[in-house]
Amino acid sequence: MFFSVAVLLDDILFSASSLVLSFPSAVGGPTWSAKMSLYNFKKIMVVPTSKEFIDITLSKTQRKTPTVIHKHYQIHRIRHFYMRKVKFTQQNYHDRLSQILTDFPKLDDIHPFYADLMNVLYDKDHYKLALGQINIAKNLIDNVSKDYVRLMKYGDSLYRCKQLKRAALGRMCTIMKRQKQSLEYLEQVRQHLSRLPTIDPNTRTLLLCGYPNVGKSSFINKVTRADVEVQPYAFTTKSLFVGHMDYKYLRWQVVDTPGILDHPLEERNTIEMQAITALAHLRSAVLYVMDLSEQCGHTLEQQLELFNNIRPLFANKPLLVVANKCDIKKISELTEEGKKIFADLTAEDIPVIETSTLTEEGVMMVKTEACDKLLSHRVDSKMKGKKVHDVLNRLHLAMPAKRDDKPRPPFIPEGAKVGRKTMEVDTPKRKTERDLEMEMGDDYILDLQKYWDLMNQDEKHDVIPEIWEGHNIADYIDPEIMKNLEDLEQEEELKVKAGEYESDEESEDEEMQEIRQLAKQIREKRKLKIVCSKEKDVHGPRMPRTVKKVERKTLEKEMGGLGLDMTDKDDSHYAVNARRSRSVGVLKKRKREVSVVATSRTRSQSASRPPRDQSGVRDPKMAKKAKKLMKSQQKDMNRQGKKGEADRHVFDLKPKHLFSGKRKSGTHDHR
Amino acid sequence: MRIEKCYFCSGPVYPGHGTMFVRNDCKTFRFCKSKCLKNFKKKRNPRKTRWTKAFRKASGKELTVDNSLEFEKRRNIAVKYQRELWSKTVEAMRKVEGIKRKRQAQFILNRLKKGKLLQKAEDISEVKKNIHLIKAPHAGKAKVMEEKMVQKIQDVEMGDN
Repeated sequence: MFFSVAVLLDDILFSASSLVLSFPSAVGGPTWSAKMSLYNFKKIMVVPTSKEFIDITLSKTQRKTPTVIHKHYQIHRIRHFYMRKVKFTQQNYHDRLSQILTDFPKLDDIHPFYADLMNVLYDKDHYKLALGQINIAKNLIDNVSKDYVRLMKYGDSLYRCKQLKRAALGRMCTIMKRQKQSLEYLEQVRQHLSRLPTIDPNTRTLLLCGYPNVGKSSFINKVTRADVEVQPYAFTTKSLFVGHMDYKYLRWQVVDTPGILDHPLEERNTIEMQAITALAHLRSAVLYVMDLSEQCGHTLEQQLELFNNIRPLFANKPLLVVANKCDIKKISELTEEGKKIFADLTAEDIPVIETSTLTEEGVMMVKTEACDKLLSHRVDSKMKGKKVHDVLNRLHLAMPAKRDDKPRPPFIPEGAKVGRKTMEVDTPKRKTERDLEMEMGDDYILDLQKYWDLMNQDEKHDVIPEIWEGHNIADYIDPEIMKNLEDLEQEEELKVKAGEYESDEESEDEEMQEIRQLAKQIREKRKLKIVCSKEKDVHGPRMPRTVKKVERKTLEKEMGGLGLDMTDKDDSHYAVNARRSRSVGVLKKRKREVSVVATSRTRSQSASRPPRDQSGVRDPKMAKKAKKLMKSQQKDMNRQGKKGEADRHVFDLKPKHLFSGKRKSGTHDHR
Repeated sequence: MRIEKCYFCSGPVYPGHGTMFVRNDCKTFRFCKSKCLKNFKKKRNPRKTRWTKAFRKASGKELTVDNSLEFEKRRNIAVKYQRELWSKTVEAMRKVEGIKRKRQAQFILNRLKKGKLLQKAEDISEVKKNIHLIKAPHAGKAKVMEEKMVQKIQDVEMGDN
């Protein structure tokens, strides 16, 4: 019960309060906000080298200010132009330098752990000096610009103003050139700072310390997800490393330090100093790691010496001694003196736990011990503080009082119990399809229909019809289909009775039939007439009907077709006229032949010249042959659809523009 | 397996035939042949394209509302397989189909009745106007006229006598 309270308290108090810490080192700094220190280091702006700095600023000036100026402009305009350039350059330098100054952390403003760490790594004095130089440079540049702008007011020509501008810019750049060293140093500091491990100085931390090579990095690798390099040589770990782990639903930091050697504080190098800083400033549980097998190169006595030497740093911190590498040598295998050492330690109320990072025995125990100890320590210190009461007033642990003696154990359903049992014991499961398949081998057929849940179990393996004559049977399935069908059939009967289906065709009387027949004939006749008139060859002038002679036979036929009686019409008007006209016509013709005289040569020649298909042809047989020859010669031309002998036109049956090219926009029906 | 309906012409799409177009709003359109698909792509309205069933139904050329047509529709209630129900359904289908065909045919016949009347009237008018094309106006009358004349002469003679 208590630990949950402890956990709650720890969490709440941490998040609710700003911290007042007590720590062994003499620095009694002001209160600070814990949040500021942690992640700023990665957001520091890149510090350019002095050359780059100058280049950037000057090119910016050139690009962002107007460049065109002429002698003949008004002097105030010229002055303004050059003043603007000077001011612009000054502004740029000022801005960038100010940003550098604000980005870099002030050693007084950050958590003393980080302050000390930075001191150890970068030397506080050098750091402060560099930043100071930058500050001075900034002020100098401001002054230069102020002076030259003042001077520019008295420039009376373009040349003078231009020279003043050149001078101003030149001086500013020289100032920057002198800052080369500081800028380089600051850039290196920035890069290193951003790579520092993000150690939260206020949260629960376990700190590992001891001689080099005792097994601190192996321990952190085992307990967290960190991947610290483990090597057989001393000082493999050269800086602090952080790993995170979870315990009791809380996040814990585990900090791995480089090994510490036993010599006085003044003689310690940078690497050892980092470990010392961590020890000094982080409120954590300290795990002092010792090597029982003395493989690290130092005896147990030396390790004990070191322990006693740095004991002052452990004040106010829960302490744990981890006896590592116990797979090689256990405490029980030690000599008397060795055992005595550990007996002393245990007597002083410092738990000693044997571990082996190789076989992982004891590692969990160390973790739980250390975490518990630290938690209780933190809770104690918070309880002693002032802020506790605010939180405690809000907390209330409810303990339900028993109302009767009825036991109320936790309820576990049967299914869960059975499930758990089957998980533990390897009970044979029900037969699967796969088992069946293996059994039956080649004659296995997957028959999913056997699992169907039907009303009638023996219908499972039916072949279900799906389609009938273009209709889906599934569309007709309805539990009430029979009822509907009956209704429909009744309806149909009624309809039939009412006579809806009787074909209404009154047998037409003869007259109507005759009319129909006649109408049909009329239509046919009309169509024929239309066709005939279309076939008429209408070349030439339109002559009246009387020019064309009408045959007696056709007249009689036509009129007969129309129903008139045309038999025996010898003495009809037209017949008589015909007889009469013929005799006259013949006489007339004969007369004509006698009296006519050839008027011109052409007439006489054309009269006497025989037609071409008769000239040179002896007899009808030859004429026939000649005609046949002509026709056979024409066959070829006619077959090819040519107009005549001279028709040599070559048709373009596959024109290129219709058969080539990609099918872009357009239809596929025609190209 | 089921026989779907073509979206455009409402004809049957048998399994393995036709194409399906799925639109971005997940509505599927099935087509029985490329003619329907092409028309669809040309954004033609099937209710205005004369050869489709949709047009015929929309313009009242075919039977639309009838009890026999209510039998074939998609129901959203799943019915478990029962042999007797299925076999009864197949029987019912035949009968329903017969009745449906009869009624559809009757509907069309009724629609065409008007045409028959019109045709009758047209025939009569045609004959009246154009009878001269097949029969001369006084065909067959000559003999009658002759007889009449003969009769008249005889009458006159008789009168004389």
